[in-house]
Amino acid sequence: MTGTPVKVKITYCAECGYEPQALDLTKALMYEFGAQLSAIELIPWESGTFDVSVDGSLVHSMKRDGGFPEHAAVNSAVRARLARTPTV
Amino acid sequence: MTLDRARWDKGLTYDEFKAAMTRNQERFAENERRVVLDPETVRTFKGLPQPLRVLVLAEDWCGDVIANLPVLGRILKEQPALEARVFLRDQNLDLMERWLNQGKYQSIPVFVFFGQDFKELGHWIERPASVTERRAQERKRIFAAHPEFGSPDAPVDQLPEDVRTRLQAELQKMRDDMVPFANAEVQRELRELVSKVAV
Repeated sequence: MTGTPVKVKITYCAECGYEPQALDLTKALMYEFGAQLSAIELIPWESGTFDVSVDGSLVHSMKRDGGFPEHAAVNSAVRARLARTPTV
Repeated sequence: MTLDRARWDKGLTYDEFKAAMTRNQERFAENERRVVLDPETVRTFKGLPQPLRVLVLAEDWCGDVIANLPVLGRILKEQPALEARVFLRDQNLDLMERWLNQGKYQSIPVFVFFGQDFKELGHWIERPASVTERRAQERKRIFAAHPEFGSPDAPVDQLPEDVRTRLQAELQKMRDDMVPFANAEVQRELRELVSKVAV
């Protein structure tokens, strides 16, 4: 897979102590995709938030989908994005 | 799960919990300093007809614990007949399961009041509903006053970073401004709780 590197943003509720889940997902993405990611941005927020977006597309929202995302689901979203943006 | 003397003795005192905190110690101490006890609160707790125990479920990473446990802490200092033990939620999930918020959420802090015989008299969870409502109103007001913040329901990661930073600052200021109201509401609810049960 050689798509244009994609950016992942993880918005987590710092008030709720969601740092471990945000860090676990970050680590999993780093090991899985390495330099295929342009960046992983961590955004400390509030209000029970745990959102993950891939190149601006929301792929998981705790409010919308409930709970924390499965790493496999986020990985699939990143792979799909990489496949859609081939390097020219 | 039955709370008994042996289990109770495994909890931390309020001061032991503070000393064991691995983060947010300064915020916790500052919040404690900012608590202004209502004379009615002091009267209510000093007038307890029997000594009470209060079991606390908490974690040092939780914003509601950092905000609301200091209120109980200040009451404890005023009322030696109120004895507290703090249990870390994630190490005491059997206790947590007993006092879930709405029967499903592991919300903290939880304050559970007991008589000396460990019979439960009542409990309090997370934060007053009035505080949650006021925050929601203020949040709506902030978004209405700043169209650049977009919809309150939209993912914040879609905002430009400078706008998101301003929104974050507005929300933090709102929460800070609300501390006196929130502290007063916690006291009101705890007064009402013990007034009902401690007879």
